[in-house]
Amino acid sequence: MNRTLALVLGAIIVIAAALLPLWIGPFYTRVAQLFFFSAGMAIAWNILGGFSGYWSFGHTVFIGMGAFSAAHIVHRLGPLGDGPLSMIVPILLAGLICGLFAAILAYPILRLRGIYFAIAMLGVSQVVGELVNNVSWFQGGIGVFLQTPVPSGTTPEDFFYYIFGGLLLLCFLISIAVRNSRFGYALLSIREDEDTAMMLGVATERYKIMAFVLSATLVGIMGSVYGYSVGYFTTYTVFRLDFSLNLIVFCLIGGIGTLFGPIIGTAVMLFITQVLLSRFLDIHLLITGAMVVAIILLMPGGIIGALRSRKRQANQVEPVEAEARA
Amino acid sequence: MTLFLQTVLNGLVLGGIYSLAAVGFSLVFGVLGIVNLTHGIFVVAGAYGALLFFGQIGIDPLVAIIPIGLVLFAVGYVYQRTIIQWAVSRASLVASLVVTFGVAMMARNGLQLVFGPDVHTITPAYSFMSLTLGPLRMDVVRLVALGASLVLLVVLALVLARTHFGRAIRATAQQPLAAELSGLNVRNLHGLTFGLGAAMAGASGAIIGIVQPFTAASEVAWTLNAFIVVVLGGIGSPAGALVGGLLLGMINAFTAQYIGPSLTQAAMFLVLVLMLLVRPSGLLGNAFGESR
Amino acid sequence: MTEVILSGRGVTKSFRGLTAIENVDFEIPAGAIFGLIGPNGAGKSTLFNLITGYYPLTGGEIRFKGEDTSGLPTYRRNQAGIARAFQISKPFPALTVRENVRVGAMFGRPGGSQPKNVVNEALAIAGLEELADRTAEGLTVGSLRKLEIARAYATRPSLLLADEPCAGLNPIETEEMVNCLRKVRERGTTVWLVEHDMKAVTSVCDRILVIDAGQKIAEGTPQEIVADPKVISAYLGEPLEEQAS
Repeated sequence: MNRTLALVLGAIIVIAAALLPLWIGPFYTRVAQLFFFSAGMAIAWNILGGFSGYWSFGHTVFIGMGAFSAAHIVHRLGPLGDGPLSMIVPILLAGLICGLFAAILAYPILRLRGIYFAIAMLGVSQVVGELVNNVSWFQGGIGVFLQTPVPSGTTPEDFFYYIFGGLLLLCFLISIAVRNSRFGYALLSIREDEDTAMMLGVATERYKIMAFVLSATLVGIMGSVYGYSVGYFTTYTVFRLDFSLNLIVFCLIGGIGTLFGPIIGTAVMLFITQVLLSRFLDIHLLITGAMVVAIILLMPGGIIGALRSRKRQANQVEPVEAEARA
Repeated sequence: MTLFLQTVLNGLVLGGIYSLAAVGFSLVFGVLGIVNLTHGIFVVAGAYGALLFFGQIGIDPLVAIIPIGLVLFAVGYVYQRTIIQWAVSRASLVASLVVTFGVAMMARNGLQLVFGPDVHTITPAYSFMSLTLGPLRMDVVRLVALGASLVLLVVLALVLARTHFGRAIRATAQQPLAAELSGLNVRNLHGLTFGLGAAMAGASGAIIGIVQPFTAASEVAWTLNAFIVVVLGGIGSPAGALVGGLLLGMINAFTAQYIGPSLTQAAMFLVLVLMLLVRPSGLLGNAFGESR
Repeated sequence: MTEVILSGRGVTKSFRGLTAIENVDFEIPAGAIFGLIGPNGAGKSTLFNLITGYYPLTGGEIRFKGEDTSGLPTYRRNQAGIARAFQISKPFPALTVRENVRVGAMFGRPGGSQPKNVVNEALAIAGLEELADRTAEGLTVGSLRKLEIARAYATRPSLLLADEPCAGLNPIETEEMVNCLRKVRERGTTVWLVEHDMKAVTSVCDRILVIDAGQKIAEGTPQEIVADPKVISAYLGEPLEEQAS
């Protein structure tokens, strides 16, 4: 019953989203595109940070690495087709490169826990960013180009709206699949108590690495598409501390470790900063910070967590109803 | 050879400043178990405070350390007893980390609104003097900064080792519950420790102001520096902060001299990550044992 | 002679010169409920940590079903069939009771019946069906202990190490726990029980191993152990007359 309902609802949302650009102007299409991009990455962050509890403060490294990989692949291999199809090979290779990098990095860095892992990831993103910026081969300082894949007759904002929308859907479906699988249970048990998980037969090392690689690959793919959407970028366009931090903020506000939390959190924060306060650019940081503080003090589980605990309270008042639902 | 010695000297000066800027972070981490991501804000606030005192009433930054330290002590105390305490009691130590992260964003934005996004420097009369010792050259202002940092670190070490307050802090760090049962007001001590950490950070900020240019956005770098110093040297002690700070200063100076000034950040983080993997408790370990 | 599921020869563990376990031999017959007792600090938990691979051995060897276990990481030993229920409950707090048990069922020994059935069976053995959809966070001590057993049982172990499952429980809860352990054994799992509650140990165990200060001092049926003077002196100190003389 519930499953069918969810499928129907999901289909309606997807169709509505597909038709949306017909109704809203280019500005809001761009806001929606930013939302899809950010929410997709927040979901990817959440697979590692939310499910397994390994908070990365440096996920921007995969955005930057994805974007620069795509640019260099096109530069070295020459144009690979025309229009939208030209993106496919560079994007997949960029995802692969990010995944490989994560796999190599994973073994040492995932031995660190908690804040040490978080800061070490921040360190990795700084080191890689600086190398890309200063080693001339990478051309991070002067910047790189990616030829536009937008077919004639389509506006860039519409084109990337659909691309990022599709990627968000992909990330979301992967996240659902992970959450409900053996893999997902392994990650949750690692988050809750890694030593006990091992005692119960969970190969913690392997699952952590899998989550890290999956998260990095998805962010790398999003990052390479982001590179296409901006066309020309330098180190500072894609290796950005605020990218890393925003992903965490979005998940925190929506509810870390939940399926819908990253999407809801991204929607709320982007609505506040891009729509309500779009003209007050100089206080965005203040608002974001205030939201973070308020969420932790008032609803530590994020929006989803707050909704759940209200539901739980309702259940305790009416146990009959809870049983009926179960 | 001269270049080598000059680099060592530069590293020492830088290291002294790093040590002082990190010792408060280290103390708070060791005693309260809180990773305070607002720490860099205290440092930058100290620099802006010194800028105000110097620009408005002409007070030397080194003298301004005293009022700045007092104000930041009060701010730190109140901040810990309210927001951080609420976060810890409602959620967890991790929540306190995130709260300090949020407050840091707000404060950085606030500083930018008040002082603007421009880079500031403080230039007292001795800024342009320098001493020469044989082939070595050193700005007076840097030597003053190193001296002031070392004096403050020694004072803090003495306070922790010799006074009743210091003993109480150490007892609280090792066994909060037992300390409470022995009649210590742990909440108050946590507030005082946090205040002390903020005051030390502010003092270092005033000194940094005369040596380096700063903006509100520098706070991120100073928080990270403090974290690296703690990882290198060890948690919770002035000695650990000194060792870690000097090491970081050397890494910075040698990278800038021999590899390239634009790669200092990369070198620092590389050492950080390696250190975390090889010896996560720092060279001197945790001053308060393995209890955390 | 019945089959031996776990055996130790000259098992030794020292921490920086301090010997916690010295030259202990043991043989656990399959299908038994075996007891391990000893005064505080005797090395009971250390011995369990050695068996699960949390610490490496300093000397000797431990064989599980005839195979040497040295070098196997903890999760491999679990998959081979050694499970452990902790004395200090370590639930996954934010997960429900059912999800906690499901983790055990999913990652324990491969094969066997469907995870879903194992979860239900484990919940039934521990008497946790009514609490199944609560998060582990708010459970009482008694329920948490049952959850430890249920989660460990769900890994379908052939040997369950139960570390003081009755500590801090009231008499009724202790009774429930003893019954729960009997049910685990009835389903073919050998149980090795560390316990302070002598009434519980002697009522449920077939044989008991006694260690003191890291050394084996006695082994036998509960009746033999209770009457053993070495055991009595280890627990109560030397009798007064002997001290006087």
